[in-house]
Formats: sequence, C-alpha cells, structure tokens
Amino acid sequence: MTNQPETSAGEEKTNGFKITLDAWAVALALVLALLIRIGLIKQVPW
Amino acid sequence: MASSIALESPHSQPLPLFKRTFALLPGIVLLAAVGYAGKFIERSIAAYGKSHHLTLPNIEYVLWAIVLGLVIANTIGIPEVFRPGLATYEFWLKAGIVLLGARFLLGDVLKLGGVSLVLVAIEILVSLTFMTFLGRAFGLKPKLTTLLAVGSSICGVSAIIATQGAIDADEEDSSFAIAAILTLGAISLFTFPLIGHWLHLSDTAYGLWAGLGIDNTAEVTAAGALYSDAAAKVAVLAKTTRNAMIGFVVLGYALYWARKEGTNRAGSKAAFLWEKFPKFVLGFLLISALATAAVFSKPQLTSLGNLSRWAFLLTFAGVGLRTNVREMWKQGARPFLVGAVGEIVIAFLTLGLVYGAGRYLQ
Repeated sequence: MTNQPETSAGEEKTNGFKITLDAWAVALALVLALLIRIGLIKQVPW
Repeated sequence: MASSIALESPHSQPLPLFKRTFALLPGIVLLAAVGYAGKFIERSIAAYGKSHHLTLPNIEYVLWAIVLGLVIANTIGIPEVFRPGLATYEFWLKAGIVLLGARFLLGDVLKLGGVSLVLVAIEILVSLTFMTFLGRAFGLKPKLTTLLAVGSSICGVSAIIATQGAIDADEEDSSFAIAAILTLGAISLFTFPLIGHWLHLSDTAYGLWAGLGIDNTAEVTAAGALYSDAAAKVAVLAKTTRNAMIGFVVLGYALYWARKEGTNRAGSKAAFLWEKFPKFVLGFLLISALATAAVFSKPQLTSLGNLSRWAFLLTFAGVGLRTNVREMWKQGARPFLVGAVGEIVIAFLTLGLVYGAGRYLQ
C-alpha cells in the first residue's frame, strides 16, 4: 500500500521566497474564513 | 512536511503557473467525484433504511470514499493525467484542519492540551525507543529504522517526508516506511472503532486514543469521524499536538545523522526548526482563537465547519486513490513486520495511557 512519496519539499521558490504547502493551505483557509466573516459566502451546506 | 504539488517539464524546466494549475485539475475533479460518491452512498443507505424501516449500520462517507478510491486505484488504475491533482490530498487535509479550528474554542484546546501534552510526550519517547530497538533487532537499515520510528511516533507521512529530507535517506526507505505506516493506518481505521465500541470508550477517551495511536493525520481524522463527531474533534486535537512536535524530533534526528556522517547541516537550529514546523498547526490555532473571541457568528462557525468537511472529503478520496496494494507486497516482509509489531504495541500502550489518564478526561 504505497503512497507515492513526493520527493521535493512541496515548496515553490519565487525570487528566493519559499512558499510551503502548509502556507498555501493556511492562506486558503484564512481567505475562506474572511469571506464568510464579511458575508461574501453566506452559507456552506453539507 | 509536505507533498509536492509542483510539476516539472521533462526537461526539468518548471512549467508556467497556469499550466501547473491546469495540470492539477483532473486529479482534483477525481478526488471530488470519488469523495462525493462516498457521501452519496452514505446518504442513499440511510434513506433506504429510513424508507424501509430498517436499522442499517451508519457507515460514514469517510470510509466509502477511501474504499472507493482504493478499489479504483487497485483495479482500473490511475492514469498519469490524474496523479498531480491526487497529490493535493495533503493540501486539502491541512486546509481542512485549519478550518476545523472554528469548531474548537481555545478554552477547550487548553483544557485538553495539558493532559494531551503529557501523553504525547510519553507516546513519542516510548515509540521512538521501541521502534529503534525493533528495527535493530530485525536488522533493518538504520535510516529505514529512523523513518519508521519517526513515522510511528509523530505524524505518519508528513514526518517521514520531512525526515527523509533532513537525514538524506534513500527514496526506497521512505517509500516503504510510508507504505507500512499507511497500511497499518488503514487497518487501524477498521480496528480502532471496533475496539472502542467493544470497550465502551467515551468519545473523549476514544478520540484521544485514536489521536495518539494512529499515525497519519487523515486516518486519525477518519477513525475519529467513524466513532462520532465529538471523538473526531478530540482525535484531531491530540494528533495536532503530536504534529506540533515534528520539528523537534526531525531536528534531533537531522543533527544526529549530520554528526554521524560528518556532514555539516549549516544554518541556525531555530531556522531549521521553523522550516520543519507544521505551519498549519498555527493556522488551526489562529482560527480557534478567532472563534473563541466570537469573531464569527454561530451560522458562520457552522459554515466554516462544513467547509472543513468538504476539504476532508477530498482528502479521504485521495488516501484511497493513492494506495497501491501490489507495490506494498513487492517490498518484503521484514520492515512491515517491524511496523506491525511496533504499531500493535504502541496501540496497546496508548490505550493504557488513555485509561490511566481517564480521571483527568472529560
């Protein structure tokens, strides 16, 4: 049962600035939270 | 700590951003389709039972998504075009955990945190020691032993990937360590809820046990969700506490191997620690702090919680779709045996810890 490991560090280098996968995930979550807070996303059904 | 979602061209030139993003789409659509199929099956069975006045077992979408993905991956196979997108499953997992912070008021985190931290410290120390002993006893390669020890004591795939980079381990070693951890995680997914119900564990006790005893965050979340919503919350909390230790343990092993091999991993320890620290834990705490400070209304908190469920839906589909049963059997039995024996012992140990700490749990 193998999860093919991704050997690169999941980082994107832009002009020497590293953006990790964690940072992208946190950024997406915070943006969505902000959109919900200011009312642009009214309701998320499940 | 992270899976790569970056793509490279055959000539090793990075593809433009829009092409890389476009290349992720097929896999993400497949994740969504399999995950939603799992949700559809869950709802359909519940509706059938209700309309026919039958009491059917409530099998959550979590399990359906994993099983569906596993069946597809190991029968039809996954065409290459889907693979980059499937690798994003860890991204959805982390985004989902950050959003899950909306369901934890910081007071609850702090309350459980004290007990959890002590249990996590014990679990990590004993797991590292025991797995290292087992690896030596079975004559495994030292770096494979290190990867298995880190994977089983802290946070599964993420810890193995982080450690592989930190100690320059072979690809094959990390591949097998990941295979062993995921296989055992999949088995835990079925056995932990059964044992929990059999022992009549409370939601808190079960969640704590799952958070300490299962290694990969996705399986911890799934095993918790299979028991109850409340158990899932505790499981993720305990697992998050374990995850937070990754930087320290990886740093320790990196320094150990650097010294042993005479290489000099330059740079400050603090910078290394920060690089390896799982940043999504901070995001989780931030959202939790905002929720505690009543920044969000109750309907907004519900929406955030639902968003985390959608993110997890993609995650669990990815866990199944990226599982290759045949590859596992090619690797040989010894490392798997070490992983299995270690995991069983750790599962019983953590169950004992949870029982021991029972009076301090809610």
